[in-house]
Amino acid sequence: MLQYIVKRLLGLIPTLILVGALAFLFVHLLPGDPARLAAGPDATPETVALVRQDLGLDEPLPQQFLRFASGIVHGDFGRSLRTKRPVSVEIGERFMPTFWLTVAAMSWSVILGMAIGIVSAVWRNRWPDRLGMALAVSGISFPAFALGMVLMQVFAVQLNWLPTVGADSWRHYILPSLTLGAAVAAIMARFTRSSFVDILHEDYVRTARAKGLTEATVVVKHGLRNALIPVVTMMGLQFGFLLGGSIVVEVVFNWPGMGRLLVDAVDMRDYPVIQAEILLFSLEFILINLVVDVLYAVINPAIRYR
Amino acid sequence: MKSLPRLLAAVVLAFAALAAGPSTASKDVVFAVASTFTTTDPYDANDTLSQAMAKSFYEGLYGFDKDMKMIPVLAESHTVSKDGLVYTLKLRKGVKFHDGTDFKADAVKANFDRVTNPDNKLKRYGLYSNIAKTEVVDDYTARITLKTAFSAFINNLAHPSGVMISPTALAKYGKDIASNPVGTGPFKFVEWNRTDYLKVAKFDGYWRKGYPKVDTITWKPVIDSNSRAAVMQTGEAQFTFPVPYELDAVLRSKPQLELVAAPSIVIRYLSMNTQQKPFDNAKVRQAIAYAINKAALAKVAFNGYAAPAEGVVPEGVEYSVKLGPWPYDLRKAKSLMAEAGYPKGFETELWSAYNHTIAQKVTQFLQQQLAQIGIKVKITLLEAGQRVEKVESWPDPATAPVRLYYVGWSASTGEADWALRPLLGSESWPPRLFNTAYYKSDRVDKDIHSALATSDKTKKAAFYEDAQQTIWKDAPWAPLVTEKLLSAHNKKLTGVYVMPDASFNFTEINLKP
Repeated sequence: MLQYIVKRLLGLIPTLILVGALAFLFVHLLPGDPARLAAGPDATPETVALVRQDLGLDEPLPQQFLRFASGIVHGDFGRSLRTKRPVSVEIGERFMPTFWLTVAAMSWSVILGMAIGIVSAVWRNRWPDRLGMALAVSGISFPAFALGMVLMQVFAVQLNWLPTVGADSWRHYILPSLTLGAAVAAIMARFTRSSFVDILHEDYVRTARAKGLTEATVVVKHGLRNALIPVVTMMGLQFGFLLGGSIVVEVVFNWPGMGRLLVDAVDMRDYPVIQAEILLFSLEFILINLVVDVLYAVINPAIRYR
Repeated sequence: MKSLPRLLAAVVLAFAALAAGPSTASKDVVFAVASTFTTTDPYDANDTLSQAMAKSFYEGLYGFDKDMKMIPVLAESHTVSKDGLVYTLKLRKGVKFHDGTDFKADAVKANFDRVTNPDNKLKRYGLYSNIAKTEVVDDYTARITLKTAFSAFINNLAHPSGVMISPTALAKYGKDIASNPVGTGPFKFVEWNRTDYLKVAKFDGYWRKGYPKVDTITWKPVIDSNSRAAVMQTGEAQFTFPVPYELDAVLRSKPQLELVAAPSIVIRYLSMNTQQKPFDNAKVRQAIAYAINKAALAKVAFNGYAAPAEGVVPEGVEYSVKLGPWPYDLRKAKSLMAEAGYPKGFETELWSAYNHTIAQKVTQFLQQQLAQIGIKVKITLLEAGQRVEKVESWPDPATAPVRLYYVGWSASTGEADWALRPLLGSESWPPRLFNTAYYKSDRVDKDIHSALATSDKTKKAAFYEDAQQTIWKDAPWAPLVTEKLLSAHNKKLTGVYVMPDASFNFTEINLKP
C-alpha cells in the first residue's frame, strides 16, 4: 500500500510539469495586453512601456517561461501583476477560507445527502423516496446564486439573525455553506440512492435476508459498505470542485477565497496568479483522487493495490 | 412526526441565539464599495476607487470640492511665469504628516522627483512627465519648472493622484510605501487586510482643527451589487456606491436609507471610425446621431438615471460648452443617409467597451434605433482583455477593426484638455491614447494646443469653445447621455458625497448617534 502511494506521488511530477507548461501557454494566448490593462485607458504609450518593464513582460516568451519554470523549482511563483505581491502570499491568504468553507459545506451535505439517498432506496417508490428525490432535484436545479441571495435576504436582511458578508466568525459560514452544499447534497442523495438500489438486488443481500438478519443490519452492514464505492468517488470529485472556490458563492457572500481571486486575476490578465491557481487546482485533484483510491481499499478490503 | 414542530422550534431558537447584537461604538463608519483596491499609492493607481480611498490619508497641493471645483489644499496659492513654464507654489504652514514630519517644500520635491523618475515605473508617470524639475525655494515655497507650457498643470496637481507622501516614509519604505501609507490627511492608516477591508482611524494632529468628525472608516469591498444592497439594509455599512439602477426601488423603500442621484462628468457616446467607409462621410455620422432617441435611451437603459448629452464636454468640466442635446429626427436622418449615397443603409459592427447589463441594454437599443435608417449592426460586448487587444492597443490605424464603438469617459482632471485631447486630438489615435473615432481635424488640434499654451482664461475659453463646436458639427461621435451617480447612505451619516468623476468627498463626514 505504502509503495503504491509513493509510486502515485512520483507520478505526480510529470503531470504537474505538463500542466504547468500548458497553463503558461494558455494564459499567454489569452487576448489582451496585461501592461495596457494595468496602466489603464488614459495612460500614454510611455507609461505602458514602463509598466510592461515593471511587470517583466518585455522579455521574449521563452525567456519568461524559463523564469517561470526555474521560479517554481525554487518554490517562487512570481509576483501578482495586479497587486505586485508574491503569488504565494496572495493564494495563501485565500486558500484557508475556501478550504474551511468547502469542509463545512461537504460535511453537512455528504451526511444529509447519503441519509436521503439510503432512505429513498430502502423505501423505493414510496413517499419518503418521492419526497427525498423531489428535494434532490430541487437542490440540483436551483441555481446557487439565487439560493444564496434568497438565504441572505431572509436570514440576514429580514430576520437579521446572521451576518451578510465576510468570513470573520463561524456564523459567517452558515449561509455560504448551506448555499454551496445544497447542490452537493442533492447529487450525493441521487448517487447514493441509485447505487443502493442496485446493491439491494444483489444475491448476497438476498442471502443475508434469508439468513434472518434484521433489515437494519442488511442495509447498514451489507448494503452501505458495497454501495459506498461510487459514492466516495463522487464525493472526491465534488470536494475537488469546491476547493477550486465557487465563484458564484464567493462573489455573493464576498468570501475572501480562491474563486474571487481567479475572477480578478482573469479580468486583469494576472498571468502569475492564473498559472499558480491552475497548478494548485490540478495538484488538489490528483491528491484527492489518490485519497479516494486509498479509501476504496479501506471500504472494501478485497481491493488491493500494488 | 410529532417531534417535527419541536425540532423546528429548536432550530429557530438556535438561530435566534446567533443573532448579532448591534454594535454600540458610535463613530465607526463602513463604506461598502464595488471592487478591491489595487494599491494605496495614488501615483501607482489607475482606478478612481483606489484613489478615492487614498483620500482618507493623503492630500494634494490642490484638490476638488464635492462639486469638482478646484480648491487649494496643502498649497495656499501659486503664481505662473509669463512663458507659462515656471509655477511657484506657496505652501500651507503648520501641517504635519502622520509620522510627525513637518510638511515643507522638500516634500513637494520628493514626491514629484519620485513620479517623474521613469525608473520608479509608476502608473501615473504620464500625468507628471511634463515636469522638468522641482526645486525648494525656502521651507514653504516650491518651484516647479515644466518642459513645455501646459496651462492645465494646476488641474494635474489637483488630480487625486497628485498627493503629498511623507518624505521620511518614502525614504524609509521605498517600494513598500503602498503597505505603509503616510500622508497629511484626516485619517491615518491602520490596517489593510487585502482580502477583506482597509481601515483608517482619526489623525489627532490633523491641520484642519475639529476634523475629522468620526473615529474610523472601514473601506469594505463587496463585489456583488445585491450583497451591497443587503449590507446597507442590515446596517453593516453606512454608505455604498454604486447602487445599480434596478435596486433603487428596494433601497428607496427602507426608511433608514437615503438614495442620492448625483450629477456626473461621465459621458457615454458612440464613436465612429472616421477613417473607414462609410463613416468617413460626415453625413452618415450626423444621420446616426439624428437617428438615436437619447431621452428614450436614458429611460430604457439607465432607468432614468441619465440625461441626454448636451455637448462634447459634459457640464461640470471647466470650459465645457452646452451645444445640444442632438435632436432626434428620423426624417432628417433618412435624408442625410440618402444624400450620402446610402438610402438603403448598410451593415456594420457595433462594439461595446463593457459587458455589463447596462451596456447590453444600450447596444440593443442602439441596434433597434439604427435599424430605422437601414443600418444593420452586429453587436459584440468586449471583455476587458479583448477591448485592449482590439481597440486600445491596435498598432496600425489604417487597419483598425473598430467601427461603431460604445464607450464612456470621465475627465478626472476636471478640465477641458483631458476631455478633448485624449479622445479627439489627432495625436491620440490608438495605441497612443483613446481617440477611437480616429478623428483628425487640424482646427481642433490647433485649438487644443493653443489653449494649452496660454494661461489667459478668456483666450482659453474661446479656443475650447471653437474646438467643441467644430467637433459637434463634424460628429465623430453620436453623443448619447451623461450618467447620474446613484449612491445610498444611512440617514445618520452626513457629509459623504459622490463627486462628478465618481470619486468621493468626505471632508465633512459625520455620524449622528
